[in-house]
Amino acid sequence: MKRIFNLYTFFLLLLVVVALVRPYAFFYGLQRGSLYSLIALPLALILGIVGLLNLAHGDFLTLGLYIGYILFNQFKFDPILSMIFIAPILFVIGLAVYKSTIEKVLKSHHLNLLLITFGVSITLVELINSLWTSRPRNVYVTYATKSISLFGISIGAYEFLYVAASIAVLLVIMLVLKKTRFGQAAFAVGQNPRGAAIVGINVKLVYTITFSLATAMMAVSASLMMPRVSIFPNLGGPFTMKSFCLTAMAGLGNLPGILLSGITLGIAEAIVQSIPGYSGWSDLVFFGVLILVIAFRANRGAER
Amino acid sequence: MLEIKNLSIAYGKVQVIWDLSITVGSEAVGLFGPNGAGKTTLINCILGMIRPISGNIYFDGRDITGLETYQVVRLGIALVPQERELFPLMTVEENLKSGAAYIPHARNQLVDRMNFVFTIFPVLKERLSQKAGTMSGGEQRMLAVGRALMACPKLLILDEPSVGLQPSIVTEMFAKLKQIRMEGVSILLTEQNVKQGLKVIDRGYVIENGRIVIEDKSEKLAQEEHIKRAYLGV
Repeated sequence: MKRIFNLYTFFLLLLVVVALVRPYAFFYGLQRGSLYSLIALPLALILGIVGLLNLAHGDFLTLGLYIGYILFNQFKFDPILSMIFIAPILFVIGLAVYKSTIEKVLKSHHLNLLLITFGVSITLVELINSLWTSRPRNVYVTYATKSISLFGISIGAYEFLYVAASIAVLLVIMLVLKKTRFGQAAFAVGQNPRGAAIVGINVKLVYTITFSLATAMMAVSASLMMPRVSIFPNLGGPFTMKSFCLTAMAGLGNLPGILLSGITLGIAEAIVQSIPGYSGWSDLVFFGVLILVIAFRANRGAER
Repeated sequence: MLEIKNLSIAYGKVQVIWDLSITVGSEAVGLFGPNGAGKTTLINCILGMIRPISGNIYFDGRDITGLETYQVVRLGIALVPQERELFPLMTVEENLKSGAAYIPHARNQLVDRMNFVFTIFPVLKERLSQKAGTMSGGEQRMLAVGRALMACPKLLILDEPSVGLQPSIVTEMFAKLKQIRMEGVSILLTEQNVKQGLKVIDRGYVIENGRIVIEDKSEKLAQEEHIKRAYLGV
C-alpha cells in the first residue's frame, strides 16, 4: 500500500513540476482527471465487489445525460439539481438490466460476463440512437461558462465542481464501505463471496444492490458534465475505456488510487494538448503513461 | 436437531452420495472417511451450496433442503470450512463482527458473543486490529471457529479442523472444541485424523464411497476392527 502510494507521489510530483511551466495544463488536467475519476469510481465498485467488468458503463452515463437533457428541455430543470431525478431512474434501469441479463450468466465463465455487458452496451447505444437520433444535444446554463483568473491565466470555474465532487463521492463510498452494515457486507462479498455466504450475507442481493447503486451514481457525473458537453449516442464508449484504465492503474480495490491515477493521467493528457500542433497525441500519452505505470509496478512486484 | 434422510448427491452424472441418512442431536458427531468419500460434498449440501438429486435435510423439524446458504446460516447452523474463507483485508475484529452482523438474533448480543469467543480463544483478543490475511494458519483457523461461534449457532459444522495444522495446535484445537461442546453447542465434524477426532465426539459415522459403512458410539468405534486397520494403523 505504502509503496503504491510512493509511486503515485512520484508521478504527481513529476507532473506538478512540468505543470508549473504550464499552469493552464495543470489546472485543466486536474479538472479533467477528476471527472475521469468520478466516472471510474462506480466501475471500480462493480469490478471489485461483483467481479464484473461492465463494458456498458459509459452508456449508462450517456443515458443519464439524455434523461437530464429531457428534464432540462421539457421541464426547465437545472442540470445539477436534476441529479436527484436521474439517480433513481438510473437505479431502476440498472436493476432491470442486471436482473434481466447479468444475473443470468453470473455463474458462467468470465468471458460470457464480458460479452453480455458488451451486448448491453450495443443495445443501449442503438436504443438511444433510435429514440433521440444521433444529432448532438446541448444544455446551456450561464453559470457553467464563467471563468476565473488564477496565477495570471483564465480557467473555467465550473469545472472545479468535478474536483470537489470526485473527492466527495470517494469519501462517501469509503465511509459507506467502512461504517455501514451494507458496506461491510459488500466489502466482505468483494473479498470472498463464499465466506460472505457462510456468515449469513445474501450475496445475490448484495450484487444486485451494488450494481444498481453504482449505476445510479453515474447521475452525479452525468448531471455535472451536462452543461459542458455535446450529448450524442456514442459519448460513453471512450469513458468506459478511460474508467477501466484508471481502475487498472490504481489496482483492484484501491479507491483513493483511482483519484490519484485519474489526476495523473488527466494532467499528462492536458500537457500534451497544450503543446501547439501535438494535441492529437494526447490519447497516445494517456495510454502510454498507463502502460508505463503498470509495467513499472509489475516489474517491481517481480523483484520482491 | 439435524436429520438427513435418504440423501443422494451427484455432480453431473457422477453420483457421490448414495441414499445417505444421518442424525445429529444435542451431541458431538464425527464423520470419518478417506479423501473423496463425500464428506465435504455432504456438508456443502447441508449449507445449501449444492442441491441434492433426492432426499431431504431437516433442521429443528423444518425442511431446509434447497434453501440458500444465508438462509440456512440464519437458522442456526454455522460452518468452519476447510479453506477457512475469512476476509483477508479485514481486521480480526471486523471478521468476528461479520460473524454476527448478518444474523438477526446474534446481532443483538454481539458484545456478549465476542467475550464468549475471547474466553475460548484468548489469542484473538490480542490481535483485534491485525489483518486476518497476515495471520498464521493456526490463528486463521481459530478466527474461523470464532467467527462461526459469533453467529450463536445451535449446530457448529467443522470441515477438517485439523488439516494443515502442526500436531501441538491440533491437540489444542480439539481441546477447544470439547470446551465449545460443554457450552451446549452441537458439533458435526469431518476428520481424517480419526485418532484425535474420536476424543471429541460422542458418536461417529464412517463414510466410504458416499455410503455410511459404520455407525457407533465413539468408544465402540475405537474398538472396531475395520477402523483400527484402515484409520488408526494398529
